[in-house]
Amino acid sequence: MASKRSPLSRLSQAQSAALLLLPFLATYALFLVYPFFRGVWISLHDWNLLEVAFNPDAKEFVGARNYVRVMWGRGIEWSAWARPGLQLFALAGLVLAAILHATRRIGRGPAIGLAAAALLLFVVAGIHAGEEGRWYDRRFWPTVGNTILFVALTVPGVTISALVLAAAMNRETRAMSVLRTLFFLSQVLSVTVVTLIWQIMFSPRQGLVANITELTGGSPVNWLTDERFAMAAIVIPTIWWSLGIAMILFLAGLQDISRDLYEAGALDHATGAKAFWYITLPNLKRTITVVIVLQIILHFQVFGQSHLMTQGGPNDETQVLVRYIYQTAFRDSELGRASAMAVFLFLIIGAFSVVQFLVGREKD
Amino acid sequence: MLSRSYFWLVTALSIPAFLWLVPTIWMVSLSFQPNDVLARTTSSTALGLVPIPFTADNYAALFAFGQTPMWFLNSVVVALGMTLGVLAVSTTAGFALARLNFPFKAPIVVLCLIGLMVPEQAVFIPLYTMFADLGWHNSYHALILPRMAVPIGVFLMMQFFKAIPKDIEEAARLEGVSWLQIFWHVMLPLARPAMMTLAILTFLYAWNDYLWPLVSAQQRDYFTITLGLASIQSNFAQSEGLGRVMASGVIASLPVVILFLIFQRYVVQAMTAGGSKG
Repeated sequence: MASKRSPLSRLSQAQSAALLLLPFLATYALFLVYPFFRGVWISLHDWNLLEVAFNPDAKEFVGARNYVRVMWGRGIEWSAWARPGLQLFALAGLVLAAILHATRRIGRGPAIGLAAAALLLFVVAGIHAGEEGRWYDRRFWPTVGNTILFVALTVPGVTISALVLAAAMNRETRAMSVLRTLFFLSQVLSVTVVTLIWQIMFSPRQGLVANITELTGGSPVNWLTDERFAMAAIVIPTIWWSLGIAMILFLAGLQDISRDLYEAGALDHATGAKAFWYITLPNLKRTITVVIVLQIILHFQVFGQSHLMTQGGPNDETQVLVRYIYQTAFRDSELGRASAMAVFLFLIIGAFSVVQFLVGREKD
Repeated sequence: MLSRSYFWLVTALSIPAFLWLVPTIWMVSLSFQPNDVLARTTSSTALGLVPIPFTADNYAALFAFGQTPMWFLNSVVVALGMTLGVLAVSTTAGFALARLNFPFKAPIVVLCLIGLMVPEQAVFIPLYTMFADLGWHNSYHALILPRMAVPIGVFLMMQFFKAIPKDIEEAARLEGVSWLQIFWHVMLPLARPAMMTLAILTFLYAWNDYLWPLVSAQQRDYFTITLGLASIQSNFAQSEGLGRVMASGVIASLPVVILFLIFQRYVVQAMTAGGSKG
């Protein structure tokens, strides 16, 4: 090969590297780095999609006004009992972090993390519009709240069922591998297929759920338009859809737990549920954390389920952040405000990505 | 160790496994039932989970008229194009970052790592305006290019190339083989399993992506099947009939399900790698 001397073969190591890196770095710079900063820049402007499309000068620099318009209001106050339930819950989290650390159940890092999260919740939950005050955008924080509720319902649902299933199916037999395939299958479907199936599953007239309800003598409810059930109607398909990844990650984690531990446990009469509680769970702590953080990142970006199944309704009950961004940008043409919300989304996802990175690095 | 408790465990797990499959069976079953029957009842036989009365008309109609075949082809073009594009930029960059020494290597790795934190939803608005300024919307490259900028593939390939022993390339270097030839003739053949994983990850993403096609492809001629399916499901009952919409859903799922059943190991690897790193 050395005899055929083309100009390419005379490149130094650094020159070869530059040539090989160029295609990726060019697309990366053009279609990710630049758009990201452009997004921040748009968020600092009063920027109407249609007007700017016709006349590039029709935008106006407004500084942080979009952020204020979206996230703040007039006469905003803070008090320690604005949302008593949520704030008590936060204080309980703070106490829990102290107790867990004092009894050495968790390390210093997780304890500080938990305490900081609890404190943040306590402070944030105390912010409210005073008697004379009002939020500039009444829909933003409720939308964020819905997104958090969606995550708070989906993540434990997926995590717990995936964990139990993975522990039960952790054997290399034919039957178990078939069962794992069945549980994983729904994971490869697209969001529009998932919403198509479940929209009709939940249909009060044609749906399988309604048919079963009628068979058992109940009267069918309209899952997608009833305020009490709409959130459940988008959470259930999401759990059905995304159980697979969590299950596979748990199975991989279970493979790393030594058989010896279970044999030693069996001598102490720790089998079945006891073995699961005292051997499996403690040894799976890192995997569980990874799965939870991963799911939070994934489900915070929920869009399709809300957009296609409930259209955010009824009464904004299932309106989620990405859908609000999408609507603000492409229905209301308010690119500036939508971009401010997108930056907010990025900060949340970015924070959890950092946590994910730190947890992932612990292993090495 | 096939004890009685194992037998009971399998039996007990079969019930949730079957329930997990019910929604999919229901979609397939409805797609094989006549529309006039479905308009009256969806629970003809065994709650509708068995397609009796049976018909294949929904599929025939799907291919005779309507845009589903074209959307399907669009998805094939976009998914294959994106897969090839991502493989090309990821293998080259992954190799360079894993095996070569050059100035500013560490900052470049960190810069790419930061890119993993940026979700699609945080850049889709500026991307929309950029592509609009360029007049690129409603085209295949508009659907393909943004994903090529996502660094996940670079990291997958980088990790793989890092694990290859040094002596393989050192032997080649002593014979005067250039770095580009080492990449092409030595490393790429070794990287086939990793490339397979990345290809499947990208194909699944491309096939199932919804938000960016929704924003970028406004003309129905450029819809992917995933987007097309979204556009017909809002008014399915009146226009096309339940059976036909379900048939579209089955057609839209067929490639990814077949891919999954054939390459199960790679699909699982791909989804866990994609899931756990971005």
